[in-house]
Amino acid sequence: MSESYVLKAEARERVGKGSARAIRRNGNIPAVIYGDNKPPLSITLPSKEVTLKIHGGGFLTTVGEIELDGKKHRVLPKSYDLDPVKDFVIHVDFLRISAKTSVTVNIPVHFINEEQSPGIRKGGVLNVVRHEVEVHCPADAIPEYFTVDLDGSELGDALKISSVELPEKVVPTITDRDFTIATIASPAGLKSEDEEEEAAAADEVEVIGEAGDEGEAEGGDTEEKSGE
Amino acid sequence: MLQPKRTKYRKQFKGKIHGVAKGGTDLNFGEYGLKALEPNRVNAREIEAARRAITRHMKRAGRVWIRIFPDVPVTSKPTEVRMGKGKGSVDYWAAKVKPGRVMFEIDGVAEDIAREALRLGAAKLSVKTRFIQRIAE
Repeated sequence: MSESYVLKAEARERVGKGSARAIRRNGNIPAVIYGDNKPPLSITLPSKEVTLKIHGGGFLTTVGEIELDGKKHRVLPKSYDLDPVKDFVIHVDFLRISAKTSVTVNIPVHFINEEQSPGIRKGGVLNVVRHEVEVHCPADAIPEYFTVDLDGSELGDALKISSVELPEKVVPTITDRDFTIATIASPAGLKSEDEEEEAAAADEVEVIGEAGDEGEAEGGDTEEKSGE
Repeated sequence: MLQPKRTKYRKQFKGKIHGVAKGGTDLNFGEYGLKALEPNRVNAREIEAARRAITRHMKRAGRVWIRIFPDVPVTSKPTEVRMGKGKGSVDYWAAKVKPGRVMFEIDGVAEDIAREALRLGAAKLSVKTRFIQRIAE
C-alpha cells in the first residue's frame, strides 16, 4: 500500500454547477465525501495538490486523510473527473473508510521480465487485456499493484489471473472463470498491399430496404443529365 | 479504407458539430494516444493515411487501435452542374470528431517512438491534436 497523505479541505455551503464553477475559477476543486452510513459532505480542495497526487500515481488505491474544520476523515478516492479536452481535474469523489470497511478497487498490473520472454524477443507484442484488475479487499490492505512475470512466455500465450500471487483477503470480483490479463500476440503491423487494394475496391455500400424503391433513390442522382 | 458495410439511408444532412465529446475521451486500450482538440469531419482517407504513417514509424512493432469510424456519407455534385436537381452522390465517408475524442491509441512501443509515430499520424489529420498517455499507477 502506498504512503498515506493529508489534504486540507474547506466545507462547501452551496452545491450545484454554479457554485462548482465558481470554485474552479478560484483555483480549487469541488469534491464530496460519502459512505459509512453518514451524510455526505461537500468540500473544496486545492487544485494543485490534488492534481499532483493524481499524476503521482496510486491515487485510487491509497487511503488518505482529509482535514476538515479540525477533524480528520479517513478516505479512499473512488473516482476523479477530468476535463475531456484539457485534462484538468473537475471533481473528486471520496469514500469514507472505517476500521471494518471492505472496498472494491481496481489494482494496476505491472509486467516484469519483458526482455526474458521468448515470445516478445521473436517480435511478439504484449497485448494487455486488463491494465487493472478489480478486487474486493479490506480498506487497510489494498495492494499497490499486481506483478505479472513474463519470463518464459511464448507467442500466443495467455497470462491469467491464476498466475498472479494475490495477498491474503484480496479476492478478484470475477470469480467464475480464470480471466486473462494479457496475451503475447503477433504484431498487427502493416496491412498487406493486397488487403488495402481490396478495401479500396469495396466502394459500394448496401442500403437497407432499398431493393423496392431503387429507381426513386437513383432519381435524385441524375442532375448531370438534365442540363437544359 | 474504412466505410460502413450497409446503411439505413444513402445520404445524410450535413449537420453541425456542437460541444465536446461525451465518450471516448480516455485511453481504453493502449498506453499512448492522440486526442482531438477541435471539431471537424475526419474522412476515411485521412484516417487511413494516419494509420499508415503510425504503423510504418513503429516498424511493425506494437499495436494500433483506431477509435473513430467514418460512418457519415458526404455528397458532392459533379463539376459544371447547375444548382438544384437534387442532392449529389456520395463522394466519401467521414467521422464526426468532437474536441476531447481519442482518435488513435498505440501500445507496445517506447514513449519516444510513440510520440514521433503519433506526430506523423497527426500531420495527416484535419484536426488539431494532442499526445496523451496513461496516468502512471
